[in-house]
Amino acid sequence: MTKSISRSSLWVVIGVALAFLTACDNNPYTPDDSSKKILYTWFREAPKTLDPAVAYTTSSHQFTGVIYPSMLEYHYLKRPYQLTPSLAKSVPAPEVLPNGYVRYRFDMREGAMFEKDLCFEELAGVEHREIVASDVVFQLKRVADPAINSPVVSVFSKIAGFDEFIKALTEARAADPDFSSRRIDQQYKEAGDIEGLKTPTPHTLEVTLKEPYPQILYWFTMQFTSPVPWEAVVYYDGQDGRDHLRDHPVGGGPYRMASYNKQFRVVLERNPDWWGASPAHRGAPGTVYPSEGEPGDKERGRLDPKYVGQPVPFIDRVEFRREKEAIPSFGKFLQGYFDLSGIIQESFDQVIKNDQLSEEMVEQGVRLEKSVSPDVFYIGFNMDDPMVGHAAGERGRKLRQAMSLVVDVEEFKRVFTNGRGVPAQSPVPPGVFGYEEDYQNPFRVVDKEKAKKKLEEAGYPGGVDPETGQPLRLTFDTADTTSRGLLQSQFYVRAWRTIGIDVEIKATNYNQFQEKVRNGAYQIFNWGWVADYPDAENFLFLLESGQARSVSDGPNTANFQYARYDALFKQMKTRANDETRLEIIREMKDILAEERPWIELFSRENYALYHGWMQNVKPFGMSVPFYKYWDIDPDLRTENRAAWNRPVLWPVYVLVALFFAILVPGIRTFYRERQ
Amino acid sequence: MLLSNLLVVVILMLFAGLVYYVRTNRLWRESAQSLWKRRPIAVTVVGLYFVVGILDSVAWVGGVDLSKTQDVVAASKPRTIIDRMFSPETRSERSYSAPFASKEFYGGADLTHPGSYWLGTDRLGRDVLYLAFKGVKVALLVGGLTSLIVIPLALFFGVSAGYFGGRLDDAVFFVMSTLAAIPGILLLIALITALGKGTLQVCVALGVTGWVSFARLARAETLKLRESDYVQAARALGVSDVTIIMRHILPNLSHLMVITFALLFTALVLSETILAYLGIGVDGSWGQMIDQARDELSRDPIIWWNLFGASMALFILVLSVNLVGDAVRDILDPRTLRERE
Amino acid sequence: MVAYIIRRIGYGFLTVLGVLFFLFILFFAVTDPDDIARKAVGERAPPEVYEQWKRNKGYDKPLFVNTEHGWLSGGRYTDTLLVDHYTRMLTFQFGQSDADDALISKRIREGAGPSLMLTVPLFLSGMAVAVMVSLFVSFFRETYIDRMALVLCMLAMSVTILLYIIGGQYLIGKVLHWFPISGFDPDPTIVYKFLLLPILVGLVNGLGADVRFYRTVFVEETTKDYVRTARAKGAGEIRVMGNHVLRNALIPILTQIVVAIPFLFTGSLLLESFFGIPGLGSLTIDAIFGNDFATLRTMVYIGALLFVTGQILTDISYTLADPRIRLE
Repeated sequence: MTKSISRSSLWVVIGVALAFLTACDNNPYTPDDSSKKILYTWFREAPKTLDPAVAYTTSSHQFTGVIYPSMLEYHYLKRPYQLTPSLAKSVPAPEVLPNGYVRYRFDMREGAMFEKDLCFEELAGVEHREIVASDVVFQLKRVADPAINSPVVSVFSKIAGFDEFIKALTEARAADPDFSSRRIDQQYKEAGDIEGLKTPTPHTLEVTLKEPYPQILYWFTMQFTSPVPWEAVVYYDGQDGRDHLRDHPVGGGPYRMASYNKQFRVVLERNPDWWGASPAHRGAPGTVYPSEGEPGDKERGRLDPKYVGQPVPFIDRVEFRREKEAIPSFGKFLQGYFDLSGIIQESFDQVIKNDQLSEEMVEQGVRLEKSVSPDVFYIGFNMDDPMVGHAAGERGRKLRQAMSLVVDVEEFKRVFTNGRGVPAQSPVPPGVFGYEEDYQNPFRVVDKEKAKKKLEEAGYPGGVDPETGQPLRLTFDTADTTSRGLLQSQFYVRAWRTIGIDVEIKATNYNQFQEKVRNGAYQIFNWGWVADYPDAENFLFLLESGQARSVSDGPNTANFQYARYDALFKQMKTRANDETRLEIIREMKDILAEERPWIELFSRENYALYHGWMQNVKPFGMSVPFYKYWDIDPDLRTENRAAWNRPVLWPVYVLVALFFAILVPGIRTFYRERQ
Repeated sequence: MLLSNLLVVVILMLFAGLVYYVRTNRLWRESAQSLWKRRPIAVTVVGLYFVVGILDSVAWVGGVDLSKTQDVVAASKPRTIIDRMFSPETRSERSYSAPFASKEFYGGADLTHPGSYWLGTDRLGRDVLYLAFKGVKVALLVGGLTSLIVIPLALFFGVSAGYFGGRLDDAVFFVMSTLAAIPGILLLIALITALGKGTLQVCVALGVTGWVSFARLARAETLKLRESDYVQAARALGVSDVTIIMRHILPNLSHLMVITFALLFTALVLSETILAYLGIGVDGSWGQMIDQARDELSRDPIIWWNLFGASMALFILVLSVNLVGDAVRDILDPRTLRERE
Repeated sequence: MVAYIIRRIGYGFLTVLGVLFFLFILFFAVTDPDDIARKAVGERAPPEVYEQWKRNKGYDKPLFVNTEHGWLSGGRYTDTLLVDHYTRMLTFQFGQSDADDALISKRIREGAGPSLMLTVPLFLSGMAVAVMVSLFVSFFRETYIDRMALVLCMLAMSVTILLYIIGGQYLIGKVLHWFPISGFDPDPTIVYKFLLLPILVGLVNGLGADVRFYRTVFVEETTKDYVRTARAKGAGEIRVMGNHVLRNALIPILTQIVVAIPFLFTGSLLLESFFGIPGLGSLTIDAIFGNDFATLRTMVYIGALLFVTGQILTDISYTLADPRIRLE
């Protein structure tokens, strides 16, 4: 018995040590996969929906953007951004009709197929079928359908007959309870045509707008206008064990969804039936690697003759692993288990020295790509609020001006983003027409004295409200309850406290925040806007009165309403980028500078890291995925991973030694005492 | 402001009453002496935390030169003694600095108050030692306040169920086993999700989760006591139930109370850190500090003082309470009591 | 015996009914289904979408009394949220997630595997290690090993699990490269790699309290008469510990196991989330962050169900472990 216990404990120790030695391998993937062209990356949270009529977030576009084909796409390398044909044979030019309407005519490629899917099998008895113009019309009708609840209905309301269709559909459903139970494509057919969407031939789509809206073409790069097979919508209804369409995309792009597990893994694989892969379309834009780019692309190895003109995609599979926490995911990037990564703030100093990659990183072959994304982050005032909004008149304006004058973005960048980001002077971000680098907003400088003066003029000397004799009390609402979000909120609040304004942070969950926004029960909030497309209209509309949250539930959460601004906006939005447009934008910026519905903060500056085995990577400002142009050298990757991840085993030996060091004298003492 | 000061007075009076009671009662006096003999350091540490908590509750307005301050608002609000000792309104930096450093951690600019931060400064340039001190009150609030809600509640239900038995016992026992059947953390989460975020909500949720185990103990103990000779005798003499409970039952449960308090306290303070990670903790708690600091470990060079400050403050408190609780249990254990008498 | 088991199960069922009522109050009476609906369909949704959503979920019914039905109609009291809630839960028809309409039962089936892969080994190894260590420690009771172990336990108990996780990931994953920092892959040839680190962390987290408890039990047993008798008969100390003491300490250990079952869930909640294991704990945390009340509700219910089942099983195993206990 004596022997057996000490022996068994010995065995346990040895067993544990052995288990360590054999199990010590931190490669999180199946070893067989290391020689394949698989891109490994991660996602933090699965998107709520992949339905192309609804999905409107970066996290969904990284999947839908390559699964659903689009009429047009962006040129991968050229800047400023340029549209190229895709499923359409050419980029259509606007055609003004006698009644002032504008028509675009898309000629679509023939013989482009949807991916093979069970829904075609079940409903039509075929493996898959051709993509035709009416599939785009069907998708736009889905966007119109109130039951789908698409976030971009107002954009497409510019199409002639779009609103009438919505009305007809709603009425038909209300009039006949059975109507809703009919098959969805039947419902749309019976509700009538959309006047501005015509398909003269199966491969021609004519889109007629009620007013000039040149930006509509950008929307044809997005999945709201992708062809969607009605079979998929009908079949994937979530009934009887079938998937929902929102979890089961059926497209015809360069990749298809191989597996979609929201909890831990999403896998995209090469779509063999992509139109771009068929010999008939070989060489069309978007099917081969581009031969032209912007200056500098050649030097950065993005116009390598090895790739120019070669058919894409190069990568066979894209694996997204779920990583809820940023730190482990970045750790895995450093270990070579993720192929690319942003730089998390915590590791910035480890990776970047003097705005350059650190030597260590360069030795590992890591490359850095910097880019400014067309977005803007801001603090907004609810202009409907009696204290800070329109109703407070001159006092409110002065108060907003004072508050704007103490928020130090440079300091914010230093503390929270390692100095990354371009301070915003107006809603228009860099890379968008209307942005002027030398423009200085008089209230986006840090000037505490001026702020104090403005505050005094507003009737709050020293931040004290003369009515109560107490510091001015305002509330700052945020939907970010994370510790980090709280620190950022505290940063703003501290700034305002220096001039005596007491701002209370109300961090609630997203649900409660939305509730507050809906009820108008908020004063100050922070928010951001990422471009749908690189045009000033897409930013300045955020403050147009027609978009006010309290009026139309639009994205103008500040509820800013200003007649002159609206008038200017109307003039600006349909103009081409000329000097007059610039003048108009300038005046709009001046109005905003003076009125201060927003305290503009910054546009993000992305530092993306890529391992040496990644080829042809170029950052893109908007959320458009371009995996098809990328390439990987799997052998180099395998080699590097092995070199970077040798387990450090000495602590195991130390622990085992320590165990015996404690045990042996213990046994001796024990026997001495007991005997 | 007045309220918190009033609360301090009440707490101090309660404390004085407790001390008086312990001093006059032989058994308790001996126990206290023996506790002091066994764990002088742990008792002192707990006492110090208590003092810090009290110092952080006594507040009044004024005393800051408004022209010098970085934070006009805080300066014109009631400030506690701890605030006055650290005066964060004037003493803060721009961002990180290491303990006792004279330069900023990044950039190396000179600090405005070089060498004065024993635990460095955090991302917003606040004194970590000060924040750790501020966490004391939150921890005492979460642990202490909740325990103070829980123990009377649990006593009430446990004792009445045990003493009166019958239907009442069945009902209380059913509620207890229902609540006990829900895994603690899930129950907490469900409660806070439904009730909303906030100190009081967290305390209530912790209270609902925490009272069951103690109520069970109290019930079991009361069942035993009810059958004891002196209770039977008192009953036979026609002494009212309330008097019996107050005279004979409750005093015999007091050791249980003390032990449960210690156990509950540490459990509550530790649970709060989990809640903080889930984003539903209490503002200003150590859990929140740890959560904010956890990513800083991967900075290079590493920033450890923030995590260190919060987790040490937490660790020392929990350890001391554990040690004290342990000693109290040894001293008050009924068996040892019996042996002594 | 049979009668006892039946009674025990009956009471367990009653407890589950109680839990369901509590959940009902919390998630339907305290939380307004309207809020959930608005969150799910987006605040810009027109009213009909929002009403439709509530109808689809069955959240549009009144709580207790349905006044649309007449006084004598049965529907007045059965066509309500309360009754629906009970029927759905008791028949395991959990319905769809509030956040993304996924079938909750499917999610649970998918998540149960990874969760069990983590918690069962963690539970068993945790118990084995704790019993071994505490046997070891009580074997050396009153020596410096014992005192050292007690201090270590106390120290270990005073550290929050958050710190163990952060430290473990940093040290073992990042610095020493022993295991993947986080992640999961159900592929049986590599799945163990992802589990070792969380198991290790979970083990360390639970060890302090367990060892202290078991040690007390063991030491207490060693003072009993039968131990003295055994010693007097000349049985060696190791034989006494390994044979007599261990066997007699089984009951308190069993009690402890039941107490530990819900903590199993607790621990795995954070472990799964930090280590990226797609189990039930991770699901629960997602539900918290995503305001997915339907999933949260179901998880609480399942947690309670597991606990009650565990309790019944333990009570039954008591009688098996110790023939002296007759519970009839």
